[in-house]
Parts: sequence; C-alpha cells; structure tokens
Amino acid sequence: MPPKSSKPADGLDYKAISKQFAKARAAREAREARDAEAKEKGLPTEKEQTEILERQRELLNTKRQKAYERRWWWTAAFWTWLLAVHAVGIWLFASGFLLTRLVLDDKSSCAAPPVEGLAASQAALDVDKGCWHPKQFDRAVVILIDALRYDFTVPEDPAAAHAFHNSFPFLYDTAVKAPQNAFLRPFIADPPTTTLQRLKGLTTGTLPTFIDAGSNFAGTAIDEDNLLMQLRESGKKIAHLGDDTWWSLFPEYFEPNISKAYDSFNVWDLHTVDNGVIDNIFPLLESSKDGQWDLLIGHCLGVDHAGHRYGPDHSAMTAKLQQMNEFVTKVAGSIDHDTLLIVMGDHGMDGKGDHGGESDDEVEAALWMYSKRPVFGRTSPEFAVPPATAKIRPVNQIDLVPTLALLLGIPIPYNNLGKPIEEAFAGQKGNDWANLEAVSRLASAGIERYRQSYFKARGIKQTVEPGSPAALWAAANVAGLAHKDAYNYLTEFENETLQVYKGLWARFDVPRMVAGVFVTAVGLVMLVMYSSKPADEEFVVANDAELDYAERRLELMNLNHEDQEVHPDQHFHRSLLGGLADARVLFVVGVLIAVGLYRKQPMDGLAALVVTLLITGVISALSTSGRSILNILPRTFWGWLSVVLTLSHSIGFASNSYTIWEDSILLFFIATFGVAALISSFRIESKVDRTMAIYHTVTFIIIGRLASYSKLCREEQMPYCTSTYYASVTSSTSAPWQLAIPFAVFLILPDVIKAFLMPSKSYEGLAPTWIGYAFRGGLFLSALYWTIDAANNGGWLADRLSESTLKSAGVYLAQVILALSLIAGSTSFAWAPPNISILSTSAKTGQLVTILGYGNAMGARYLFLPLNFLAACILVTKPMGSGALALMMWQILCLAEIIDLNQLKAESIGPVMLAILGNFYFFKTGHQAVLSSIQWDSAFIPLFSIRYPWSPLVVALNTFAGQILAAVSVPLIVLWKVGPKQRGILETTARALGVFIAYFAVEALTTMSWAGWLRRHLMLYRVFCPRFMLAALLLVVMDLVGVLVALTGVRSNTLAVCEVFGWAE
Amino acid sequence: MSSALAKPPPAPATDSKPKVTVAAVPTFDNALSKGIAFGRVAVLLGLLAAQFNDLVAEPVLTLQSALPVVAVVQVAYAVLCLPAAGSQQAKAAKKARPGEKKKPEQAGTSSVTAFLALVLSTIATPVIHALFILFGAPFLDHITHTFLCAAHFSLLGIFPVIYARGVDSQALIAVAGLSAPLDETLGGLLGAVLGAWLGAVPIPLDWDREWQKWPVTIVCGMYAGSCLGSWLSGVVFFGKRLGGTASAAKDE
Repeated sequence: MPPKSSKPADGLDYKAISKQFAKARAAREAREARDAEAKEKGLPTEKEQTEILERQRELLNTKRQKAYERRWWWTAAFWTWLLAVHAVGIWLFASGFLLTRLVLDDKSSCAAPPVEGLAASQAALDVDKGCWHPKQFDRAVVILIDALRYDFTVPEDPAAAHAFHNSFPFLYDTAVKAPQNAFLRPFIADPPTTTLQRLKGLTTGTLPTFIDAGSNFAGTAIDEDNLLMQLRESGKKIAHLGDDTWWSLFPEYFEPNISKAYDSFNVWDLHTVDNGVIDNIFPLLESSKDGQWDLLIGHCLGVDHAGHRYGPDHSAMTAKLQQMNEFVTKVAGSIDHDTLLIVMGDHGMDGKGDHGGESDDEVEAALWMYSKRPVFGRTSPEFAVPPATAKIRPVNQIDLVPTLALLLGIPIPYNNLGKPIEEAFAGQKGNDWANLEAVSRLASAGIERYRQSYFKARGIKQTVEPGSPAALWAAANVAGLAHKDAYNYLTEFENETLQVYKGLWARFDVPRMVAGVFVTAVGLVMLVMYSSKPADEEFVVANDAELDYAERRLELMNLNHEDQEVHPDQHFHRSLLGGLADARVLFVVGVLIAVGLYRKQPMDGLAALVVTLLITGVISALSTSGRSILNILPRTFWGWLSVVLTLSHSIGFASNSYTIWEDSILLFFIATFGVAALISSFRIESKVDRTMAIYHTVTFIIIGRLASYSKLCREEQMPYCTSTYYASVTSSTSAPWQLAIPFAVFLILPDVIKAFLMPSKSYEGLAPTWIGYAFRGGLFLSALYWTIDAANNGGWLADRLSESTLKSAGVYLAQVILALSLIAGSTSFAWAPPNISILSTSAKTGQLVTILGYGNAMGARYLFLPLNFLAACILVTKPMGSGALALMMWQILCLAEIIDLNQLKAESIGPVMLAILGNFYFFKTGHQAVLSSIQWDSAFIPLFSIRYPWSPLVVALNTFAGQILAAVSVPLIVLWKVGPKQRGILETTARALGVFIAYFAVEALTTMSWAGWLRRHLMLYRVFCPRFMLAALLLVVMDLVGVLVALTGVRSNTLAVCEVFGWAE
Repeated sequence: MSSALAKPPPAPATDSKPKVTVAAVPTFDNALSKGIAFGRVAVLLGLLAAQFNDLVAEPVLTLQSALPVVAVVQVAYAVLCLPAAGSQQAKAAKKARPGEKKKPEQAGTSSVTAFLALVLSTIATPVIHALFILFGAPFLDHITHTFLCAAHFSLLGIFPVIYARGVDSQALIAVAGLSAPLDETLGGLLGAVLGAWLGAVPIPLDWDREWQKWPVTIVCGMYAGSCLGSWLSGVVFFGKRLGGTASAAKDE
C-alpha cells in the first residue's frame, strides 16, 4: 500500500510545473530569509535544526528500542513461568497416573535355575521330565471365560439369588465332591482390569502398567519372558481359539491350522466367539489329535459381552453361564489323565457389567483347576470347601504363572512375581511340605533374582529393616529349618515382595492426580485472564503513512519534555511476575517449604501448594492491572464462537466416540468457522474487500475438506474409515503415485505464497529470492529425498546403486535441507531487511518516494519464519503429509486474510482457529492419538542411527508438525497487513499466543480430568490415556515453541523493521 | 457478530449513507395466513414424526417421496402467507392492504414467483450438497442421501427466502450476511442451518442405533430448527437484527 501523498507530478502540464516551480522558489527564498534572520539573532538555522531533530530522533529510537527489549524480556520471563506452571501440573498428574515399569530382557532357561545346586543335584531333569521340578502333566487346556466373577461360580441362597447366581455350579460341585481332582479359589486380578493388560499379567507373572518402559511402543507384542515363550522354547505347541487379543500379544505363537481367532470388540455379539470356541475345541480334544498341541487356550467372550451389553443381572447372563457350565462339563469329560484343565476369569465386572478399574467386583475372578488323576491336596481340612466369598483365601492371578510352569515342567518366566498355588503341590494328603518348600523356594529364588536385576537396572537400594523382603529372605535361608517353617517364611517373603512392587507400579495415586488437575486448572484461569482483552483496549490497524509522519513530527516537537511518555504496557509483565515476589506469598511459601523439608513430607503436595500460591499471586496482579476474572467472559460473537469450539472439542474427550472421531470433528469445526466467516464477510461494506473476504473464506473451507482426504485411520474407526496415508493398510511406506505430491508442492506452493504477497506489494526485498529460490529449492530437495527413499524401499535401482549408497545420499540430503531451513533460515531471518522496496520518482519539486510493501511490512517479513519451519516439517513428513502441510500453509494465509478483512485481529478466534488447524493437520500427517501411530522411522531421515537429542527432536517435528506450524504462525495472524508503525504489537501477539496456548491448556486439563475420572473405563488405555498423553505433551511443546520461536521471531522481526522505519512506540 | 461491523469509522455512519435498508418480510396480516403459517409448522413436524421410522429404515425412498409433499406445503405457505418478491406488498409493506381488484392479479404473479423460486432452489441444491460435503459428508458414496437432504434443505431454508427476496442482490447479500432483520424466511434458513449443524452431533457416538445413520439426524435437526427458527423470528424476534443495531423501521 503506497503512501497516498506520492502521486507523481504530471510532467506534461506546463502550467502546473511552472506553478510548482514558483511555489518552490518562493519557499526557498522564504527559508533563506528565515535563515538569515536566524543568523542575525544567533539562533540555529533550519539546517541546524534539522540536524538537531535528527539527533533527537536517533536518541528517541535508541531509547524506545531499549524499552522494547526490556519489555520483551519480561514477556519472555512471564512465558517461562507459564511453562513451569504447566510442567508442574502435568508432572503431578502423570506421576499419579502413568506408573512405569522397566521391562527386563532377561529370560529364564532350563539350564539355569535360580536355586544354586539344583542343577547339580537334579541333573537328570530336562524338558521331558520337567525342567526345574518334576512335572505333573503333559498338556494343559486353559479355558478363559472373560469376566468370570467369583460369585458366578459359588452357590447362593435361591431366595437372594440374582440372575448370575447358581447357573454355573459345575466348578463348585466338582471341587466339593472330588477335592483331589479339582479345586476352586478366588482369583484376584491386578488392575487395570482390561483383557489386554490381564493377559500380560497371566502370562508374564508381573504387574502390568500402562507404559512398560523399554518395550516396543510400535507393537503390542509381548517381548518379555512369559509362559508361552517358555513353552515355545521348550519345543511345545500352542493352540488358541477365541479372542484375537492373544494374536496381537503373541504373534506367530499359535499352531496355524488348528487355531482360530475371533474379533473381540463387537460387544453386542454374545455368541460368535463362544460358538467358535465350542465348535472347534472338541475335535482337538480327541485322542487322534495328540501331539498337535501341548497347551490349548480357549478364550470365551460371551459372559463379558453379556455384562457390557445387559449388565450381570439379566437373563442373558443366566443363559450364558448355563452354556458355559455345560461346555466346561463336557470338556472335563473329554480330557485324558495327563491333561490339566484350567477354567478361569481374567477379571470380574462391576454392577453395570463393565470393568477396567480396581473395585472389588472387577478384580475378583474365579480359578478352577481340574485333573482326572487325583493330584490336588489341602493343607488344612477347612480348606476342603471352596471359599464362600472372594475375600477368603484368594490367590493372585500371577500365581498361575509359576504354578502352570512347574506343573508342565517348564522354567518359570524371569519376571514372575507370583508364587505357586498351594493346592497344586501339597500332595493328595495335603502334607507334602518338602515339595511345597521346593517349589516355593524355586519361585522365591526367581523373584529374588528378578529383584536384583531390576533394582540394579533402576538404581534402587533395598531396605533391610525387620519384616522387609530382605529380612524374610534371610530368615528363609537359615540352614536347618523344618520344611513347613521354611515354606511359611518363603510365602511371607513372596507376599511382601509383591507389596513392594505394587507400591512401585500398579496403583493410581489419586491425591497426586487431583493435585495435578487442580494446579493445571488454576494455571488455566491465570492464562485465560492473561489472554483476555481489556474492554478498553483496541488494536486498530491504521497503516496510514501520512498520519504516521505527522505523529512523528509531533513526537519530536514534544521530545524536549523530560517527563516523556513511558509505554503504557512497559511494566505489565514485570508487575505480573512481581505478583510472585509478593511478600505475603513469599512468606507463606517459605514457611511451607521449611515445614515440608523439616517434616520430610512428600514433594508432590508441597509442590502443588507452592505453585498454587504463586499462581494466586500472579492472578491478583492480573486483577489489579485491569484483567479481572470477569474480563474473561466473551463479549462478541467471535469470542463466543471461540469458547464454544474450544469447550465442545474438549468436553468431547469425555466420550470415547468423540475422541476416536476427532479428525472429522475438527474438519466440522473448520467448516463451521468458515461459514461464520463467510456470513461475516457478506457484511463488509467495501465491495472489493467483501469479494476478497468471500474468496478467501471459500478457499479456506475447500482446502480443509481437500486435506481431509489424507488420513490414517485408527483401529476403532474401522470399518467406517479408509486410510490413504500409506500405500496400503498393512504398509508404512508411500505408494509411488504419492511421490507426485511433494513435486506438486514444489511447483505450486511458492506461487501460492507469492500470490498472497502480491496484493500488498510485499513480494519485494528478499522475498523473491527467499520464496522463489531458497524455499522452492528446499521443497525440491525434499521431494528428491522422498524419491530416493522410495527408490530405496522399492529396490528400483537395486542393480545399479547399493542400498547403503542410497541411504547415505538421502541422509546427507536431509541434513542439508534441515541446515538450510532451520539454521541458515533462522540466521537470515534475524538479519533480513523488511520486504519493501523504495521507488523514488524525481520531480522538479523534489523526490517523491513510494514505499512498496509498506502496509504489510510486519507480516510479510514475519512470514519467512513459518516458511522456514514449513520446509523443515515437509522434509520429515511422508509424501502424503507434505501435501497436507502445504495446504495448511495455504489455509493459514487464507485465515490471516479473513482475520484482517473482517478486522478480527484482536479477537480470540484467530489463534483458536490456528490451534484447531494445528490439531487437524496432526491427523492429516498420518497421526492419531494412539501410541502406535508415532512414526519412529522419521528419526532416521536425517540420521543413520539414534542420536540424542536429535532423534527425539526429529520425531517430535514429525509428530507435531501441524501444531508447531500453527504455533509459529500465531504472530502472523496479528502481523499480517500491519505496517511498520503499528503500536502494541508485542502485547497483542503475546495475548494471541496466550489464547492459542489456552486452547491446548484446556485440552490438557480436560483430557487429564477425564482420564482420571474414567480410570475404570474399558477404553482407558486405548483411548483416554493416549489422548491425555498427547494433550500434555502438546501443551509443553507449544509453550516451548511459543517462547523460543514465535515470541523470539516477533522480537527479531520488530527489531529489523523498526531499524528501517524508526520506532513507533 | 457485532465485531464484524466494528470498523474505525463506527456505526453511526450507516444511517447517514444512502444505503438501502433491507426490510423484514412480514407475513400477510390476516387470520388465514396466520393459520397457514402455523399449520405449515404442524404439518412439517407431523410429517417428520409420522415418517420417522421409514426415514430410518429407508432414507432415500422416504426423502424422495416426501420431497413433493414438502414442496407443495412450502409453495402453498409462500403463496398464501408471504409477499412475493417485487410485489406491492413486498415493496411497501407498510401500506394499507391493497384493494380487492389487485388480488387475483397478485395470486397470479405469486404463483409465477413461487415457480421461479422453486427453480432457483433446485439450482441451489448442488451448492447445499457441496456445503454438506465440505462439512465432512461422504463425497463419493451416499450421494443420493446427501443430495436429497440438500434438496429438503433447499425447500425449507432457501425457497422462502428467494420467494420473498427474488434476485435482489442487495437483499440477498444482507440475508447472507445475516444483516437483514429477522423474519420468518431468514429465521427458517438460520434455523435450518443451526439445526442441521446440531444434527451432526450424535452421529459419531457408538450407540449403534439405526437412527444415527446418515442423514437421519441432519434431516431431523434441519426440520426442527427451521420450524423453530421461522416461528421464533416471525413472532418473537420479528424485525430484530442480529449483532446489535436493531432496525427502527418496523411495520406495525
């Protein structure tokens, strides 16, 4: 937008020229006369005055620049404090919610039993007779009835019976009638009581946590030592029928011809899985099938599904249990004498039939073991009848692991924490204490061996006070103990050790979670207050060069007043942080810390209290500086729209469906904003502006829909979703045609960006080089990289170039692109002049100066920064995603235009839409809110091997490309079409960034709250927990990018522009 | 949406400019029209309620067979209740009711207008269809579902507006910008938009209900919203403007 004053003189009009000439001459004469007069009086001449003014201007500029830098540093300090608040809140919650366990890779082996001397004394033992202990059975049939609660299996007084009582009497009856052939005991699950986690526990003998650190994120397969692995190592065959969860945990374990998996997630279908198990199991039990399997697993889901669908107290449950009764009866009749039959539940169900949590009803399952040959015993006569309730004599589910291992004669898995079940080893008379001691010692020695490895790996010190596992272990190893006493000591040791690990791994720490939610919530209130716009504050973009000039003259005239203007917001951030240093707050904090340290209280409560107090200090500072708590209420339609979009997105996370379909919902929101903006655009009075606004809005909506075609579906979206991100559903490489996308981006995107800069005449200065050559070149190199990658994957040049040549070519190319875009790009960004060029037309009256690109001096230059990041992100994103990111940039520019044309720069909707776009493109670059969608292979784009900290940074850039690009573009929304003389840029940008971060903070807070609240939900570990982790991580990443890139970018942008144009404030 | 209008030279300028203010479209002020306007809502909602089960079972067939019925209802409503575009009443609604002589002539023009509006609404249907797709409706499958849904939307929301406003670009821009004062036609359109928007909310839920299928919830939301919207803006908020400055020029 050239200044209006600079119309070139009409040279053809002679009269006009002569007139001007006369005028100019008159002016000069007058000036000379004045000068002469001034000289006479000893006053400075006009020339000297100009010099003085020039010096004063210089002084003013330096002063203002200094003031700006101080202001900026305080702003950055405030944002760092904000980052700390977010980090503390997330840490508090996560440390109570995400308990981690280190997975050890050690495996047990037949040749190396944990008890020394065993190998020598019982050297004859091998797999055929039993590895560490003589085996009892050749084969085992395990019938897993999902959600078989203990009270389903014990008799109940018919008067008080519910639908789920007395329908499955076979287990109890056999245990009472033939105690040497069968026993029934409560079988306590360790939470989380979801099938996947339970299967891990039932096979590894350890307590599962959400993150088993060290295990492979990408796959769900169990890679730590487990029963099935030991069986396979021993050359035994495993067959499986039923729930397909087993197949993802144990891929390629099962005999292919006789095993059969069924889909486990159709909760409405009560019969398919069960009928599949029942129909297929009996043929396998025939004696002709001997040798085809050694362990046969049948996993029935009907009881579980009946619970989910109807709840336990329903006739469908009765029917289902009766069917199971009949089924088990028949199986018990079909097995031979050397086969062990186990029927068990993996967890129970609550009153509504759901499970996942840790309530009594959910953890109390049933375990029944049966053998045609009498082998089982009871150590006490009162144990003969199975317990009436699950509170009496329960066994832990992990106890199955050593029991089954020793009965079948295989080594106990290395990580096992369970102990052998008494009945199975007590002998028929129940007094074989020697045998009990032997098996218990084996299990205990294994546990002790595991403890040593784990404590060593984690650097934990063992305590030795009386009653601790160490003391009990010592007591059990005293020589000359009676078998029974030794057995009792060992059992106590096993129980105590388990308690230690439970403390380490498997409990939600609810107070910590509440503290985390609380701190995050208070922090959010602070952030929203900070981001709210005071009613009287305006951010009007004038961009009028004449006005600017006049203002400047005025300023210089007033310069001599020493009580000179201080920027209205000069001390804003400083006073906010001053809230931290409030004497009262500091005093209370000091006392708290002193007391906390003196009484050795846990850190978490103290941290929560201290941070809350500090936040309160800042909140009160905010209130006194005009941003009271009431100020956060929206006052305009756009404010309300921002609130509605933010809240509805966040509240949706309480529902697994809305979390699963988040990508479609974001598209819906984008279109919603588009339509609102379209309506608003129709209200613009200027026809040109209206047309442009409508054009950009329509483009904005269409691009969003276009981008939605790039998707990677999550499992739960099936079958209503088709993945397009990769070549096929089963691959993680791109299809050859997708290579056309980065090349199309290379050809088209720079021109699109140019088209956005042209109307404001900002395609000047460095812009043609930067965008037309450097940026375009980077895009071309990225496209080339992906071509090389595809050639490598597809073996296109296999006969000409070796794989390693291609790989290193790719890696070096990628390094060049990253260096170019991030290092060279950032450096040039700091030094680049504004995108302007100066046209001077000489007329006789003097020089007429036209500044091209004046009206967008701030925005056009800042655009370089998002472009740098875009180039880097496009490199680390697969071909399909590069198209999506290019569309994102286009959409961001449209958004900037829409916001500018509708004059919404000071509204919250701009940053909120950027946040939505960021999240939307997270999904469009091949991600989902599940751990398995992390593209770990992106770490190897610019590197040959994992190197810290670069590899995690590259994966982060790949994962959060959308959001990072959005965060970097927040200032763009404020700065677009803003001239160099604009005031309040830093404050408005910081506020916009505040709104942007607030969006992510709301998401973090809500996902945190829902994950905590729904910690018993069936879908916790599949849906809610990953979404919380995503939101929490995003909040921290966005904070970092906000301070390190966006705010820093605004600073260097302002410094560069104001160096040329002078400081407006 | 006040902020959209907040420009550096603020609002007072609007009155001084020679800007043509777009007036609200009143319904005919006689018992018959009032009755029909009310009856239309009852008929449409009744139709929806009666056909709901069929709609869930056979969306395409039901939407298709309902289309002519809805068209007849809407045309009757427009002709009998709304002043046609360009008619005397639309231009100077404030004036006293026209004489007996003019009536037959008007009936003729209004049916022509109704026909033209119907044609224009048909032309608008693909645009609505595109809008549905932009909001995330399937593009390549369920085309008939979406198209019929768009056709119903056209009839409910677009047709009355075009009937009353014609092709007066000033008025249509005002309608598109929601800067026209509220009346039954604009309210019906706005209600249909909001209703259809809200109708999308239950679709992703995993309740496994038949009625969650496309486009049942949209159609229901659209009908409910349109009926509610036209009633509210025709009766309660008539002549009010969205986003601040209510127009003083109301005809009573």
